Amino acid sequence: MSESNSTSSEPLDLIRLCLDEQVFVKLRGSREMVGKLHAYDMHCNMVLSDATETIFYTEQDSPEIKSRTKKSDMVFIRGDSVILVSDAANV
Amino acid sequence: MSSTSNFLAEMTNSPVVVKLQHGLEYHGVLASIDGYMNVVLKDTVEMVENNKVRNYEEVFLRGNNVLYISQK
Repeated sequence: MSESNSTSSEPLDLIRLCLDEQVFVKLRGSREMVGKLHAYDMHCNMVLSDATETIFYTEQDSPEIKSRTKKSDMVFIRGDSVILVSDAANV
Repeated sequence: MSSTSNFLAEMTNSPVVVKLQHGLEYHGVLASIDGYMNVVLKDTVEMVENNKVRNYEEVFLRGNNVLYISQK
């Protein structure tokens, strides 16, 4: 679809605007990540710093959704696990 | 340009529903779309089984997760 680019902006521009900002990333496997975006590429591979990962899970015999968090100083996210990216301030 | 991508390009700036493979739905205004079906939506509501989950001012959805894009 790139041959007629009448609209100047493309979806990845939104991620570019989030560089050096706090981003919210929804991932496969019921995970969410919030951190400062340092780098990204066309695959949505991303590098976040001071990242907090929230993992949602259920325990056997209980419908209740629980969560736990993990912190990383610096993390590389492989693009194929990304579902959604948004400015964390606007979530 | 193929007619299917025309259809998508003509939907920009109109309200759409994007459904993902895992059942999540995003209701918002289509800001931009590319050939991978990566999408940016504005003023978006995230819905799971017709329940609102979250609001996003602006959100990027990675194209590989998209099931369909429908005009509202």
